[in-house]
Order: sequence, then C-alpha cells, then structure tokens
Amino acid sequence: MDSRFHQELEQLRVTILKMANLTEKAVENAFRALWERDVQLADAIIARDHEIDQLEMEIDRIILRLLALDQPMARDLRFLVGCMRISSDLERIADQAVSIAHRARYLSTRPALPKDPALRDLTETSLDMLHVTLSCFANLNVDQAMDVCLMDDAVDELNLLTLKNLMDYMIHEAPAIERGVQAIITARCMERVADHCTNIAESVVFIVRGVNIKHHCEPFQ
Amino acid sequence: MVDAKIRIRQLSYSYGGAEALREINLDVPANAVTAFFGPSGGGKTTLLRLINRLNDLVEGTRMQGTILLDGENIYAPGVDVPRLRRRVGMVFALPLPLPGTVRENVVCGPRLAGIRDWGRLEEILERSLAQAALWNEVKDRLDDPAVALSGGQQQRLCIARSLALEPEVLLLDEPTSGLDPISTAKVEESLFELKQQYTIVIVPHSVQQAARVADYAAFFLMGDLVEVQEGTRIFTTPQDPRTEDYVTGRFG
Repeated sequence: MDSRFHQELEQLRVTILKMANLTEKAVENAFRALWERDVQLADAIIARDHEIDQLEMEIDRIILRLLALDQPMARDLRFLVGCMRISSDLERIADQAVSIAHRARYLSTRPALPKDPALRDLTETSLDMLHVTLSCFANLNVDQAMDVCLMDDAVDELNLLTLKNLMDYMIHEAPAIERGVQAIITARCMERVADHCTNIAESVVFIVRGVNIKHHCEPFQ
Repeated sequence: MVDAKIRIRQLSYSYGGAEALREINLDVPANAVTAFFGPSGGGKTTLLRLINRLNDLVEGTRMQGTILLDGENIYAPGVDVPRLRRRVGMVFALPLPLPGTVRENVVCGPRLAGIRDWGRLEEILERSLAQAALWNEVKDRLDDPAVALSGGQQQRLCIARSLALEPEVLLLDEPTSGLDPISTAKVEESLFELKQQYTIVIVPHSVQQAARVADYAAFFLMGDLVEVQEGTRIFTTPQDPRTEDYVTGRFG
C-alpha cells in the first residue's frame, strides 16, 4: 500500500473529496439562496463555480497519468474509472447549483410565489440524497449506494408533484407564469442533482463490486 | 470453458522435498491463449514444462495426477515423447537460434521428421515465418546466419521453428522477456493470429502482458492454482483477494 502508485491513488481520493465538499457547499448555498431570497449568496455560487471546474480538470489529469504510467488493474482500475465518472457527475451537480443560483437571483427580485410543500420536500430530499451519496463515496459504502438509488424514486415523484402544483397555480395566476417557469426549472435542476447522485452511487458499486448496475439501479446482491 | 485441449487433474509435483505444484485442476481451452501468471516460484514454468515432459530427466522429483492431451494421458506408459513434443511445441524466454541460416533454423525440424521435398520445405518455411509475423522482415535474408537477426526477430524465428512442425499446442515461457516494446508488440500480435489454429499457453513476463494477450488466465501462488477466469474478468474483477492483491501490485 505504500507504493508511489497507491500514494497517488490516495491523493486522487483526497482531491475528489475536496471537489465533493465544494460541490456539496454549492448546492446547499444554492438551496439557501432560493429559499432565503439571498441574491448575494446566489452571486457567490456563480462566481466560485470555476474552482470546481478546475478541480475536475486536475482530477482528469491525475487519472490520465495514472492510467498511462501504471496500467492499473482490478480494484485500482475500477477506482480510476469510477473516479473519472464521479468527478464528471460532481461537476454537473455543481452546474445545477449554478443554474439554481441564477433562478434564485431572478425569483428573489420578484414577488414571492406561494410556499409549495412539494418543492420544499424536493429540496430537502435531494440535499439529503447528496449528503448520503458523498458519504457513500467517501467510505465506498455499497449499502448507502442502495439507499441513494431508492431515494431517487422519491425525488422523481416530488418533481412531478411540484410541476403539477406550479402548473395549477399558473393556470389561475397568469402574471406569475414567468416566475412559475423559473421555479419549474429549479425543481428540474434538483431532480438532475438527484440523477447525478444516483450515477455516483452506481459508480461506487462498480468500484467496490465490479458490477455495472447502470440503468437498472435496483436491489443488487 | 469449452473444448478443453489439455485437462490437468489433481496434479502435484515436487522437487525433492519442495512442493512446486499442489493438486492442480485446470482445463486449457483449444484455440485460445491461456496465461499462467503469478509471482516467481508459483509453479507456472514447472507446469509448462510438465506439459511438454521436459522434466522427465530431472532427478529427485515426484509427480502425481494426470495431464490429458485430447483426452490421452501424456504420462501413460508407452507414450512416444518425441511425437508428443511435435504436437506440443515450446519457446523459451531467451531466443536460442541454432547455428546456421534462417532457412535452416526453420526447416531443420521438418527435415528431421522426414520431409525431404524442397518444394514442401519452402512452403513450410514461408508459412511458419508468416505465422510468426517475421516473413516480411526476413524473406530476403533467408540465407543469412540466424544469429545476425535482432533479438526480437530471433525470438519470432524460434516461434516459427516450433510452428514448422505444425504442433497443436504452443507453450511460450516468457517469450518476450528480453525484447524491446516493438518486438514484444509483434510477438503479441502474432498470438492473435496463431490462436485461430493453435492452443497457446503462455507464461507472460508481466501482469500487463497477461492482460493484453490472455483469453483465459490462471493465477498461481506458491504452488497453488488460486483462480482461473476469462482474461477480461480476472484483471478487472478478480474473485480471490490474493489475485486482487497481486494484480494491483500490493504484493509480488
């Protein structure tokens, strides 16, 4: 475990955890900016997104170098391939945070929409899912990966419910259509965060067990 | 595995008191490349030599179990060993060209086997060199001394010399250990062609080479066969933690 290669693998793991931490913060802040109508916070998320992009590129460089120079196998190979996918999913989650921040900025400067419990639940569930996902990767915990897969179904349902609620509202409140559409896009961003979390959980299963459960994230052995 | 060319059953082998192989059970499939890999002293080369009966004259050894070639025990009394070795060719780690020309190296086996017709021998010469991916490089140098070839060419010449006897099985013991990457790539490339016609068993010089060439791979550790799997599985998702530790460089 002390070889230069395994030290570099550990360094890669630390860099991804750093990226995961920044991404988690970005999503948390985006949700806070949305609910607390905080324009400054939204601006800060947008301004700091490049840090996550830089980390993604650094991770790509590390992985490419380790693949080329060390020709890893078995679990090490799966770890590198899994990390490549995971860093890409993290970057996309961060992009959703930026998108939510833009909607938060817009909505904060307009009359507030009525509080929608479904959108609130969607926010909390997708954020919970992100926490569990990152813990699942940090500990390479397959049981938590299973939890993430199950949570995704709840997020999908909440997204549909939010959509229905907002459409019902817009039918009766035509002047709110623009805000309603922005809120629908926000809900969609949360649902995308959850989808990327599912992808990460699938990558963790691939790293640990060597099985590909993509597109059929159902109870696995 | 389907269509096993070689079946090894309950094979144990020891040099004096030292056990080199313990109760090995393994099927080597026909028309595929099977790699025996693992750390030194695991028994890979011993097993390879036993398939060719190369240890017959080594004193103080003890063997139990059977090796079946097409269902026949190659250690049964009365087996014609030179005939067995025509069916099972072997190439060693260091190229050993015979004194003489490139042509003489390739045709000496068939001539000793009784083929005298030069037309037929020329045919064998071209076919064998082509199969070993060497023909294009030496077709104008057939009467040069074999030792004048580069190391990589000499090794492919040794493969061609084995192929000239039209064996059914080709045993390769670290055939590229002394070769540069380009020559190694050429030898490895030739295996993809050769397996269409032959059953190939290779002791590769690295895990990476095993991963590149093996349709099936068997991991040997201190005389035990730990795991045998399709190459695509054993190097990505090995089942035994000892295999996992070895292929990821955690020991060995």
